[in-house]
Amino acid sequence: MSLDITKINPHFEDVMPQEYIDLVKNGPFGNEKSQKDLGTFKELLEEHPLCAGCNLALAFRILVGSLPNPEDTIIVGSTGCSSLAFSQLALHNIHSVFGNQNAVATGLKTALRLRFPDKIKDVIVMAGDGATADIGLDMTLHSWFRGDKITTVMFDNELYANTGGQESGMSVRDTVLYMAPKGKKFNKINLPDMAIAAGCSYVAVVSTARTKPISDCFKKAVLITREIGPTYIQIYTPCPTNLKIKPYESKKVATDRSKSDYQFREHITDDAKKYLESLKP
Amino acid sequence: MYVTAVIDEEKCVGCKLCSQVCPEPNAIKFDVSKKKSCIISIRCKGCQICEVSCPKKAISMKQVLQKAV
Ligand SMILES: Cc1ncc(C[n+]2csc(CCOP(=O)(O)OP(=O)(O)O)c2C)c(N)n1
Ligand code: SF4
Ligand code: SF4
Ligand SMILES: [Mg+2]
Repeated sequence: MSLDITKINPHFEDVMPQEYIDLVKNGPFGNEKSQKDLGTFKELLEEHPLCAGCNLALAFRILVGSLPNPEDTIIVGSTGCSSLAFSQLALHNIHSVFGNQNAVATGLKTALRLRFPDKIKDVIVMAGDGATADIGLDMTLHSWFRGDKITTVMFDNELYANTGGQESGMSVRDTVLYMAPKGKKFNKINLPDMAIAAGCSYVAVVSTARTKPISDCFKKAVLITREIGPTYIQIYTPCPTNLKIKPYESKKVATDRSKSDYQFREHITDDAKKYLESLKP
Repeated sequence: MYVTAVIDEEKCVGCKLCSQVCPEPNAIKFDVSKKKSCIISIRCKGCQICEVSCPKKAISMKQVLQKAV
């Protein structure tokens, strides 16, 4: 996208809403931001219908605010709670049928490479744990096996939130949910290790307990994807509605988990490390 | 909307932590001239995450809509 299309026509400047002027003047187009800048500019995400205290919404907001190149980014989403926020996003995005997100991203990436061979175009998948690790697992894995240059982000609330609380492959064993009354019978899928084995150049496990690592790891992942290969970010985003806790208690849940069984983890290949070093001024 | 967060300007030190933990976009703005955060109450869903995250206890909740009798 040419940054010119965001410029305000001088004849309309006096009637443009203040928020739009703020977006163009102080916003992230052509001016990379990170989580610490939130609050100082009009965000690319607008008021969304997700629940009060939704940690998925928080993670989404941090990711959108940390994009290295928002003007040349296309986000592929999938069915689930996150899809309700996509309609409020001022960025190119595609909604894919539940589970198809990485296959759609592969097609898109290929088309963009042919159409804009000299331009950077970041294709980023953002989807729930059900979409990524259950119904879309074959699409996810095969895009990694093929080495497609796509960044995959999973919002891991460890259940199917949007359909009322069924267990997912990412739920922890024995978890009892609204629609899993007998508790889950098998272990949580270890997708980060599968991502490494499938050839991802960079894999990070983070949580909403701290937002800086989400921003930092996501930026690294997008840059590595451009030149080296597929990357995967898994974010623990507890869902207060299905955990039957008060919205603010999700903060403590995320913090506790980040200190026990959902600790920060990062894997980076030598090639990716070298590439990041080469970008340093 | 029943409650909204409010920031006590006297207590706020402008660390911007609240705007990094709020799930709502554009709900907490940073006033660059005052170096303080402030809540845009029409965008606040009253989740209290900012309240429990503020290291200076500068955020509290305020009732904005009375229940109909
Ligand atoms: C092909 C298909 N199967 C099933 C559904 C029903 N469905 C909609 S959302 C959803 C669960 C989403 O879970 P997850 O990906 O974890 O997202 P969350 O809502 O938890 O954020 C399901 C099963 C669907 N929309 N399409
Ligand atoms: S159900 Fe859970 S994941 Fe979905 S919007 Fe509400 S809090 Fe977020
Ligand atoms: S109460 Fe929740 S929605 Fe309101 S400003 Fe604080 S973090 Fe944001
Ligand atoms: Mg889920």
